[in-house]
Amino acid sequence: MRSIPRVARAFAVTGALALGLAACGGGDDDTSTSGDGGGDLVTVGFVAVGPEGGWRQANEANVQDTFTEEAGFELKYAPATNLDQRSQIDAFTSFVDEGVDVILLSATEGAGWEDSLRRAQEAEIPVILVDRGIEPDDNSLYVTRIAPDNYEVSTSVAQWAVSQFPDGGNYFVLEGPAGVSVVNERNKGWDDTVSSVPGLVKVGAQTANWSTEEAKSVFETVLRANNNDIQLVFAQNDEMGLGAAIAVEEAGLTPGVDVKIATIDGTRPALEALGEGRLSFVAEYNPLFGETLLEVVNQVLDGEEVEPYIVVPSETFDSPEAATAALPSRQY
Amino acid sequence: MTDVASRLAAKRGAIVRNQAFWGVVAIVLLLAINVISDPGYLSIGYNSETGHLSGNLIDILRASAPILMIAVGMCLVVATGGIDLSVGSIMVVAGAVSMELLSSMDGTTGDAVLTLAVALGIATALGAVNGVLVSVVGLQPFISTLVMMLAGRGIAKVITGGQNTTADNDSFAWLANGYIVGVPVVFLLAIVIVVLVALLVRRSALGLMLEAIGMDSRASRLAGVKRRNLQLTVYSASGLLAGIAGVFATASVMTVDVSRTGYQLELDAILAVVIGGTSLAGGKFSIGGAVIGGLLIATLDKTVVFLGIPASATPAFKAIVIVVLCLLQSERVRSLFRHRRALRAQSQKEAVAA
Repeated sequence: MRSIPRVARAFAVTGALALGLAACGGGDDDTSTSGDGGGDLVTVGFVAVGPEGGWRQANEANVQDTFTEEAGFELKYAPATNLDQRSQIDAFTSFVDEGVDVILLSATEGAGWEDSLRRAQEAEIPVILVDRGIEPDDNSLYVTRIAPDNYEVSTSVAQWAVSQFPDGGNYFVLEGPAGVSVVNERNKGWDDTVSSVPGLVKVGAQTANWSTEEAKSVFETVLRANNNDIQLVFAQNDEMGLGAAIAVEEAGLTPGVDVKIATIDGTRPALEALGEGRLSFVAEYNPLFGETLLEVVNQVLDGEEVEPYIVVPSETFDSPEAATAALPSRQY
Repeated sequence: MTDVASRLAAKRGAIVRNQAFWGVVAIVLLLAINVISDPGYLSIGYNSETGHLSGNLIDILRASAPILMIAVGMCLVVATGGIDLSVGSIMVVAGAVSMELLSSMDGTTGDAVLTLAVALGIATALGAVNGVLVSVVGLQPFISTLVMMLAGRGIAKVITGGQNTTADNDSFAWLANGYIVGVPVVFLLAIVIVVLVALLVRRSALGLMLEAIGMDSRASRLAGVKRRNLQLTVYSASGLLAGIAGVFATASVMTVDVSRTGYQLELDAILAVVIGGTSLAGGKFSIGGAVIGGLLIATLDKTVVFLGIPASATPAFKAIVIVVLCLLQSERVRSLFRHRRALRAQSQKEAVAA
């Protein structure tokens, strides 16, 4: 007898917590809750990555702002729970079962999507990959992939590095988590260009999991292990580059003079740092391709053929002046 | 003569049986490996550019501060037979609150103090929610703190709007990056807090009461120990310490990373506590051991980078070190070795006699 009210109380408390959370989370997917817009809206399921960093934030906000009801769409936004692929597959499957018109997919991990994509194919729901690719890259399983080209972007960083260090130098690479397709592509673009220059010596590479805090801790130790003899850092995202800049400053060196840091992404904090000279080169990995995506979705729905890979053009910033010029119009 | 020898042997046995001893051995070994790869590893220099001491050891001390905080909190919770899985998430909440407040302020010392108070207050409150769920509602500690672990990161994301907020405040950054007579402030703070906690639980009956709850909560209640209040206090303290860790972690770069700050650090804290010889079954704890465990984890993290171990091999390297350490700590494995040694000695004696 005594235990029943206790269990009931426990449920009440957890229930209240869950309700509170649901109320908190409700703010950002208002497009999906107001679903009663009639049959003429095109339903789009967006299997997204969710909070990951400034770049992802800009990209997903841009997609959400593009596929509005005014434009004739009902967007169902499903971010992953803590970057977990399992939760993405669940969301994907439920979109297929619901029978949405199009699915947009930004996979947190490249591998393991074949079965889900085949189910979508059987249900005749076109799938468009947004930014992240899948592995192995079997383009019969999806309609098209729209993304800036990682290989091209990191090649542009490498070309800048080669031009900056004609006499060579030591460099270090701060990578994202091992095994992610972005990391492999960015490494390949960099290595293919830099390895042809004998003077540039790779001191090492280490993951800092896209994080400023970890990058600072890693690079502070790397500087010690090499007696500060590192002239160049290739950080595969802005956050890690900013962490490396802090580590350089704490070692008593000047970023931009003693150690030049190049990053990829082009978020606002990175451009501000470039303006102050703390970073030396920022290659944009353009997140704002909602318009292109909208065009492609319309083409696909009209039954037109589209290219299997659509590259979004990106810019590079190599000087404080370029950064200050770009900052006022920066949206992310 | 034999008396002295046997007493020495007994003492040695006691040291070897003390699990924290093997943690110290592991730290020394890791440092030795680093010295082999670079003979100047242990040297501490004076950096004339920045005006404070610098060196690998100093870096390790700085990196260990957040782990020490959560390990000590975890140690107290584990003593009562519970567990706190939410420390990493409480860290990110404290960090998110701090950065969000500071980014809208001017950067004065007063702002930093106010922010610190609010962030630590919220962290303590979240810890207290854990405490209420465990002590009043009577939920399993594993489940209630798991709820908080999932909810905490969600709360942090709501606070910053899903973004990684950056702020500027020199006083706040000083907590993590500053130096007092060449020694990192963050490590001094961590040691002061650890010593205070240790004095509080070991110089009063508090520690014994926590252990009593961990051993047998009904017996402790019959003996007059106020279980509810103590559990509430312990989980709140763990929340507070996790909040401090979160402040340390975010202040060092003045950025909160909602998906990475404190991510999976609860596992590091549990590991530090276990390496230090505190049983997860509760009823016994060692704060000194938890400190050694925390230092070991920081040393291990730094060693991996210093040796340049490839990113993909890092988790395997760490796992091997920890498995070996746990094997050494195991009484059964050690007695197996002793047995074999004794057998070998015996067979040698027989060979000589023959």
